[in-house]
Amino acid sequence: MVTVDPTKVADRIARPTTSGIQDSRGYRVFQVFNTVALLGVVVVTLYPFVNIIAQSLSGESHIRAGDVNLIPRGFNVTTYELVMSDSMFWINYRNTVVYTVVATLIAMVLTTCYAYVLSKRNLRGRTFLIGVAVFTMFFNGGLIPNYVLVTSLGLKNTLWAIVLPNAISVFNLLVMKSFFENLPTELEEAAKIDGLNTYKTLWYVVLPLSKAVVATMILFYSVAYWNSWFQAFLYMDRAELFPITIYLRNLIAGANSAGAGLESSDLAQVASNIQAVTMVLTVLPILCVYPFIQRYFVSGVMLGSVKQ
Amino acid sequence: MVRHRAKLTASVMVTTSALVLAACGGGDDGGGGSDEGEGVDLEGKDVGAMDDYDIGVQFTATEPLNFSTLYNEHPNYPLKDDWLFFEELEERTNVTLDLTVVPLSDYDDKRSLLIGSGDAPTIMPKTYPGSEEPFVSSRAILPISDYVDLMPNFQAKVEQWGLEDNLDTLRQQDGKFYVLPGLHEAPWQDYTIAMRLDVLDDLGLEAPTTWDEFRDVLEAIKEEYPDDYPFSGRWNVPTPGGSMLNILGMTFGTSAGWGFNHEQWDEEAGEFVYTGATDEYRAMVEYLRGLVDDGLMDPESFTQDDDPAIQKFANGRSFAIGTNAQTLVNDYRPAFEDKNPDAEIGKIPLPAGPAGNVINAASQLENGIMFSADAAESENFVAMMQFIDWLWYSDEGQEFAKWGVEDVTYTTGGEGDYQLADDVDFVSLNPDADKHLQEDFGFSNGMFAYGGSTELLHSTFSEEEQEFQETMAEKDLLPLPPPHPFTEEEREQVTLWETPLRDHTDQATLQFILGQRDLSEWDAYVAELEAKGMSQYIDVVNEAYERFESEHG
Repeated sequence: MVTVDPTKVADRIARPTTSGIQDSRGYRVFQVFNTVALLGVVVVTLYPFVNIIAQSLSGESHIRAGDVNLIPRGFNVTTYELVMSDSMFWINYRNTVVYTVVATLIAMVLTTCYAYVLSKRNLRGRTFLIGVAVFTMFFNGGLIPNYVLVTSLGLKNTLWAIVLPNAISVFNLLVMKSFFENLPTELEEAAKIDGLNTYKTLWYVVLPLSKAVVATMILFYSVAYWNSWFQAFLYMDRAELFPITIYLRNLIAGANSAGAGLESSDLAQVASNIQAVTMVLTVLPILCVYPFIQRYFVSGVMLGSVKQ
Repeated sequence: MVRHRAKLTASVMVTTSALVLAACGGGDDGGGGSDEGEGVDLEGKDVGAMDDYDIGVQFTATEPLNFSTLYNEHPNYPLKDDWLFFEELEERTNVTLDLTVVPLSDYDDKRSLLIGSGDAPTIMPKTYPGSEEPFVSSRAILPISDYVDLMPNFQAKVEQWGLEDNLDTLRQQDGKFYVLPGLHEAPWQDYTIAMRLDVLDDLGLEAPTTWDEFRDVLEAIKEEYPDDYPFSGRWNVPTPGGSMLNILGMTFGTSAGWGFNHEQWDEEAGEFVYTGATDEYRAMVEYLRGLVDDGLMDPESFTQDDDPAIQKFANGRSFAIGTNAQTLVNDYRPAFEDKNPDAEIGKIPLPAGPAGNVINAASQLENGIMFSADAAESENFVAMMQFIDWLWYSDEGQEFAKWGVEDVTYTTGGEGDYQLADDVDFVSLNPDADKHLQEDFGFSNGMFAYGGSTELLHSTFSEEEQEFQETMAEKDLLPLPPPHPFTEEEREQVTLWETPLRDHTDQATLQFILGQRDLSEWDAYVAELEAKGMSQYIDVVNEAYERFESEHG
């Protein structure tokens, strides 16, 4: 057992000597600046969000007068009650959840399989398969042909119109492919010797080692689907099929167009803090996903798995 | 992702308008003849139509009919299938509507997409005049002017209210129009200036009636409050100073801001001239330059967002701001409630300018209905036209769409005296009621109810607004410019010139007003416009005007 005399340790911390490793002056200056700069970034990023929250909880006259900054003024939650009492809000909210979950699931399965295949350097036709994927990054059929295609496949007004057409994001595919390429081939060889076929190798060996990239991809896909509105706007003809993003977008457009006053006797009843309320309600769930996924962003999981 | 989306949205318009041409170029000519009503074969297309349909006759289809319709979903009154509107409509007309619901935020994009892909519903309401133009040459939409003789109410209103000249402004180069506009009995001027009437009272000032008086009033306020700008304007999107320039330009005999037209009709010369280079436009710019120069108008009036403008007004740092009837009630008065309950805010009558005490007659046409070209092939075509005529253009239909069902949603105490039922609210007329005319019944829906007689229009106005409208009704109407529709090639050509010309005009207008450029450089500015193709542009306009005049005049 090595015993440590606490007083000596304290002494060394208090009076750093010139010997031993210590932060150079330049590094400490850098740290101070770094902290200040990053705190600045935090403020810039958080301020609008806190401001939106404050607005969502403030009284209308205070918002109109521009009094609201970080703290709600004239506290009121009537708008929350109002928005939450609109059944269409919840229907569209549920749609967004369903679309996001299903779309992310499909996208993950397809992207993982494709990326795993592409990561095999000795695969015949690999260049062609990569070419096919990359081609779609630069060229597509265009809006109207796509619309005609989806319509004639009978996908319009169904969930599939949203989840199928863009199931594989080529960018995500390439990220995943290069991650798989960096996995030691020895691990897969060992799995093969132990009797696993390709699919089992993917499932039992490769995927457990790829939690970091899988978590990243889930995050990328789910945030993208959560925020997306354009596909739904194109292919959905009924309000009860819209995701919450369209609801929100329309709400804001309605509030603004009422200001332009083109519609006869169509007075604006949308208070400006309805926008803030809806934004808060829409952002919260996806915000809550981050901490749970973040713990998979671990590095060095494969440290020591292969002896060379 | 955000960038991706923004790019997509931007490309919708470009792609669709381009592809509309490609997708639909091969269609037939929609059954239209060379002149209105001539050569239109309606045989076998009158299934469900009434033989004796006329003004004052309730349209009821002789068999149940269904029409596909584009629907503009307004967030203030989300569509409900069980609205009394649809129920009663079916009962009265035997017609049901198959709705394609499109959020208001992107209505035009979706409409372009549907037309471009050949998937367009038959009836496309909420089409603003001018937005039908990209589709005209594709023959994907119906030249509706060929069929107005099926619409007795529409024709009667055009005649009674003297709207022939207004309709002419919609005509395309083939002499037909493709959008069936909403009709107003009288022009409707909503936008003007709101002022702090209590401050005017304190200083012993009268509400101004001309722009010169407006300037005098601002000067008097400036004397009392030397540290503030008495006037701080709003509505700078999409054009800087859009609303202010619009109302000012109108009364100076030109067009600017939201209402800017490149071409201006010069009555004396009998030809079009370029708006941004006219003496009238210059006079308007000089007027504003004077206001800014003397500290009477906030230089930020042309660039700031609406919110800061409202805040300045609400915090007593400005005393005049642009307004319409809605913002007066919804934005300004609530902002004063807590801070300064004694403040009195009101619209001032639109001041008169060098062009006289005038307003624009163009406001007699509203957004209207566009039809898919397939409509004319349907066996129910005649019935559909009768239905459109009844619902959108007959007195009974307009009253129904706006006020609903008598004794259910409203009561009348005689001619034009509409009262909401006790349990129904609309525009805060019955604030304690638990049902809403739009949200719960589907009436006064911007899709189906607009335009109409002045009496009907004013029936939902507050007394204050009715008074304002009465003073507006005394104003003279500006003459409408003669029609000058472009051919397809001409439109392509002028579109290339329009953007640089418009940008330069807007930019120079602001520079002159804000004093960044001296007015002595006006001639240099006109020369710059010239270099950007001003004369060529105007030549094309005058050519189009002369051609239309000789062919259809």
